[in-house]
Amino acid sequence: MADKKMNFFEKMQALDRRYIYLVVALAIIIPLLVPFNSRTYVTEPTENIYKKIDSFTGRNDRAVLLCFDHDASTMAELFPMEVAILRHCFERDIQVFTICFIPAAKPLMDYALQTAKEGYEVQSGIDYVNFGYRPWAIRIPIMLKMGDDISEAVEYDDEGRKLTNLPIMKEIMNYNEMNLIVDFAGSAAVLSWITYARAKFGANVAAGVTAVMAADNYIYLQTGQLTGMLGGLKGAAEYEKLVDVFACHMEPDENGVMQPAPRDFSKEIIKNTWIKMSDIKNRMHKTARIGMNAQTVAHLMIIVFIILGNIGYFISKRKKDKVN
Amino acid sequence: MSFEVISNFIAAFFTLSIFSFLYKDNPFYKFAEAVFIGVSMGYAIPLIYQDTFIPFVYRPIFVEYKFLILIPALTGSLYIFRFSKNLGWLSRYPIAFSMGIVGMGVPLSMHSYVLVQMRSAMLPVDNINTALIFIGTVTILLYFFFSKEHKGVYGKVTNIGIWFMMVGFGASFGYTVMARISLLIGRIQFLLGDWLGLMK
Repeated sequence: MADKKMNFFEKMQALDRRYIYLVVALAIIIPLLVPFNSRTYVTEPTENIYKKIDSFTGRNDRAVLLCFDHDASTMAELFPMEVAILRHCFERDIQVFTICFIPAAKPLMDYALQTAKEGYEVQSGIDYVNFGYRPWAIRIPIMLKMGDDISEAVEYDDEGRKLTNLPIMKEIMNYNEMNLIVDFAGSAAVLSWITYARAKFGANVAAGVTAVMAADNYIYLQTGQLTGMLGGLKGAAEYEKLVDVFACHMEPDENGVMQPAPRDFSKEIIKNTWIKMSDIKNRMHKTARIGMNAQTVAHLMIIVFIILGNIGYFISKRKKDKVN
Repeated sequence: MSFEVISNFIAAFFTLSIFSFLYKDNPFYKFAEAVFIGVSMGYAIPLIYQDTFIPFVYRPIFVEYKFLILIPALTGSLYIFRFSKNLGWLSRYPIAFSMGIVGMGVPLSMHSYVLVQMRSAMLPVDNINTALIFIGTVTILLYFFFSKEHKGVYGKVTNIGIWFMMVGFGASFGYTVMARISLLIGRIQFLLGDWLGLMK
């Protein structure tokens, strides 16, 4: 009986939450199965990381350190950005180091390297080095010691080779050369790099964080303590786009065969470039952008639910006031 | 059947088991939750043994004969006495040592989290951004000054602080929604792409 008197908005308010889950699930599944091309706008914090990494192109006396500080629970947001940055490094001949301080990050770090390496002839010890897992308890001593000598701080790589014997380490000594640290985390782990590597040694620090943590890190961007930031899936999508537009750019040669033609970052190019999802053959290279399509639809659904919920709330409030 | 196919099936089973909680609590969810905890610990223990105990305790003491390592190793082992009622006090020594390490970071933390932040909040008010930072910082600081009642002009000023904080909370919450949806997208991408092969 009471049900008959309820109007649409009141019914919406009393709706079983499981219907909402179903609608959100469909809002995600449909755009993933039927992908559409949406424009990815690149923000300045993402641009800054890209430009900094790109400035190390082809240099043996520069390297990027990627620190994996997360487990599988945040993989959906962080893994695409890790793969995108590694691809950028491999494509542009940029020396890259990887390290993790939590056990659960180790397989993800290996998986990211394995995924990004596909299609590149890069060699461990020459183009990149995986420092492997180091216990959290010695995180701060390692950070501090890296300021003097990385080979002493880490000593052996993940394959048990002494760092001093590796060709990649020839011109790399400390933070003067390994001049960018990108920390991927779903926590405030990047703050320790800011405190110990940035404040003490002036190293450039950037963050690849989950969206939950992004708002907390803006204050460090504003003060310049963070060189740049990738915030959640959106940040990953932006970086994927930058890698495709610049580092992995292809142009036809005189025979019309597409050849790699990497180009430098330009705001004009990025503004006018539209990449079709169907043009990118490897799904791992567009995961974040496809995900952002679904994200857009899901956000629209949530906005509609919030509006309906609010209208329903005010209608039932007015009804109650009238009765009283 | 390849290893990848089997592992994808197992991952899909556990993903769906966890999702089943959205309908209602059930044995599949409980099973997946318990397995996750067990696997995480099962993975971490040998990794820590191999990458922590062997290189930092066993090798230095028993292979390289660096007996000084015995001091931190034994101090660290005192943590185990946390479980003893009578000898629990022994665990305070490694804790005290750890606290000392935290203290080492205080000057650097002061620099990063207080001094640099303050310096960046004291910029010349010559554009809209710095004006907003100035108004926001001052009004929020005044809001947290509880020795004066928030009434009259003072109350209106602190109200502006509340608005600034609400905008901050809104941004945080918006980002949180995005994060949660991203996690769901990640799992659905796995189910549709890696498991069912429906995504290209």
